[in-house]
Amino acid sequence: MTAAPPSRRPRRLPLRRFQLPAMLLVLGPGLVSGFADNDAAGITTYSLAGAQYGYGFMWALLLTMVALLFTQEVGARLGLATGEGLSGVIRERFGVRWTALAVLVTLVANLGTTIAEFAGIAASLELLFRVPPQISSILAGMFVVIVLARGSFGKVQYAFLVIGAAVSAAYAISAILAEPDWGHATIALVKPELSPTAAYLITLVGVVGTTITPWGQAFIQSYVADKGLGPRDLAGARVDVTLGSLVTNIVAGFIVVACAATIWTHGGQIIDAADAARALGPLAGGGATIIFSVGLLAASLLGLGVVPLSSAYFACEAFGWERGLHWRWSQAPVFYGLLAFFVAGGALFVVIPGLPLIQVMFLSAVLDGLLLPIILTFVMLLAGDRKVLGDLVSGRVLLAIGWTTTVLVSVMSVAFVIVQVFGLGS
Amino acid sequence: MLYLSEIQRSKVVDMAGTEIGRLTDVAVVPKEQFPAVQWAIVSSKDGERIVRWADLERNDSQYRLRESAVPPAPGELPPEALRLGRDLLDKQIVDTHGAKVVRVNDLQLDDKGGQLRLVGADVGLRGLLRRVGGEGAAEKMAGVIGRKLPRGIIPWHLVEPLEATQQNVRLTLPHAKLALLHPADIADIVEEMTTDERRAVFDQLDVETAADTLEEIEPEMQAAIVGDLDEERAADILEEMDPDEAVDLLQDLPEQKRDELVELMEEEEGSDVEELLAYPEDSAGGIMTTDFLAFARDLTAGQAIERLRELKPDPALVYYLYVVDSEGRLEGNVSLRDLVVAAPETPLTTIMNTNVFKVDAATNKEDVASLIAKYDLLALPVVDARRRLIGSVTVDDVVDLMLPRGWKKRSGRSSAR
Repeated sequence: MTAAPPSRRPRRLPLRRFQLPAMLLVLGPGLVSGFADNDAAGITTYSLAGAQYGYGFMWALLLTMVALLFTQEVGARLGLATGEGLSGVIRERFGVRWTALAVLVTLVANLGTTIAEFAGIAASLELLFRVPPQISSILAGMFVVIVLARGSFGKVQYAFLVIGAAVSAAYAISAILAEPDWGHATIALVKPELSPTAAYLITLVGVVGTTITPWGQAFIQSYVADKGLGPRDLAGARVDVTLGSLVTNIVAGFIVVACAATIWTHGGQIIDAADAARALGPLAGGGATIIFSVGLLAASLLGLGVVPLSSAYFACEAFGWERGLHWRWSQAPVFYGLLAFFVAGGALFVVIPGLPLIQVMFLSAVLDGLLLPIILTFVMLLAGDRKVLGDLVSGRVLLAIGWTTTVLVSVMSVAFVIVQVFGLGS
Repeated sequence: MLYLSEIQRSKVVDMAGTEIGRLTDVAVVPKEQFPAVQWAIVSSKDGERIVRWADLERNDSQYRLRESAVPPAPGELPPEALRLGRDLLDKQIVDTHGAKVVRVNDLQLDDKGGQLRLVGADVGLRGLLRRVGGEGAAEKMAGVIGRKLPRGIIPWHLVEPLEATQQNVRLTLPHAKLALLHPADIADIVEEMTTDERRAVFDQLDVETAADTLEEIEPEMQAAIVGDLDEERAADILEEMDPDEAVDLLQDLPEQKRDELVELMEEEEGSDVEELLAYPEDSAGGIMTTDFLAFARDLTAGQAIERLRELKPDPALVYYLYVVDSEGRLEGNVSLRDLVVAAPETPLTTIMNTNVFKVDAATNKEDVASLIAKYDLLALPVVDARRRLIGSVTVDDVVDLMLPRGWKKRSGRSSAR
């Protein structure tokens, strides 16, 4: 079509455009979800576990790491094979009623997590600048609304990720400087130090629930699906979720060890965020509080940018309602309504005077743990379904591990409920 | 009006009135505008059996086999059959009127003289409530506050099912209705599909529509789609795309795949693309097209018009006509209007505008966008170090840069009518 003028060959610019290797196209969701997993509830729960029981939960961290790896891998498979989010696939496979259950469970768990993120922000700002929770939670709510409305979360999240990574490193260094009993810690990885109390059980539910989360399961699947990745990207996705799971639990392990070596050995306990910050003392001394607060703040904000949004997507995808921030309010009323409900609900909850912030964050992890079996059951039923996954259907070994995890988590949750209801072991 | 959810699980009895199973599903062949239900699937503990719909008669809330009926037997439906419960309910479909992907909550059927026809897909709240058994209650509650529950029914002839599952094989349906939509709308729909469905759509669309659609899709997904297509097909589609759009897409592919595709492209388009691949993505060179019209400076207005007749260029190209010297150096531009009103023997050099804005290939694309915006240009020529014309950035290449993120998606078809 060009009326070619003579000699139109362009001068070759020496610079070849910046290339991402194909692998990096896939890398990401697992890592993001791995870091976001150590959110407000995560940091708090691991700290409490280390401070109260020393190395008593190291075995659980090792097991949940394996479990997390497999559940995330299944999530990635589902996303690659179907191109849909978890709730969409549940709807297609199990119909409206089961979907309603899955959505309800997820929304309840996620509302708890959202409250925990607000509590994390409140706790860190209180430590840093003595801002009362009533003010900081409202400010945080407004901040999230502005960031999401401007569509800039995509950029902002990297800052949070970097801070998250830095604080994770701080925990690792602090754990090493505290000169913990490494032998003890290593043996505890494979030799469970159980204690038959209700308090131990509730912490166990929290540790599991903050590592393998309902929202994390939905997040990995949607992320993979929205990138338009397909079955041929399975290898890359696997590398990614493996890295993500490793990062999540290695960081968790350092938090536990740091807390065990600094707080547990001295018979201390964590009542508020300032106590939890002491775990960073060996590295930062008097600056521990600042590092801890900044890390908690970044982790909470990262979680806050992901969880409410992921919840609204989850519900709207299940029922076929318009979803996404590109719509106007009037075009996607349910989506924005849910988003508003989560942000306002979370912020207002933290306004309650005298709220024990650390306990709120911990209990949200427990709530996640209690509801996890329901979501995991859906995921595992889908994982073995050739009609849904086609050639990506999970093999026997994977299914066996997945179902074992689901059964163990269910037993744990049922045991917890029985203990709570009948008041055993306390 | 009848809904699938209302007849599902109805009792099916034989002539003597003994129950032979429950009606679990019905099947149609989706050929007519409102396809007739041809089979019923009756399930009992012995498994599924197929009954011809004509062999059943409705009797209150149950279905009874007619005397003349062929005895129900386990068997297979013909491959073109669509089972409403299994293949449509809870699945995503395309609403070709609203140009969007929606989820089926229920299916609306119309019973006329024993002939049951599929007339619509219920995608509204009512369908959802009906499925969970709360339609009546919700209706009363809405009545209390003086509102009516909205209906959300899409007539069947405006529905395009996405796929049907046949045992382990995914049966792909023809996408004739989808192909009639505007490429920008098809793009929005395709983005919501699974990888298999996407590939099916791109295999079926004609090359030109496929190219236009691909240009409208989010960059991340473009590469994934092209990566999934058969390579010959992918190369054909790339040839049809604007060279600059094709380059943006190729940029996101792994190097090896990219080279293979460029190799498979026709000589002319392939070399255009190769040239453009050399420029950084965020520079004028990276967003420019090599599709432009340039006339030699010694032509007259009449000769230039004659040349246009021969070339029959794309409508978008004729608004920016460039004049170059024998070395290909940019001398000026001439508007179509000036070309037409000038006497045929007028030399181009006397009617051309020599005061032309131009940029270097390395210019930042944001700067290009602001130049185009500031001076109300439709296109901006790109020249190399020796002022030779190498490409042209048109306003449609930069308009996305000027809009806030997400704006393009926002305008649904509803606001265009």
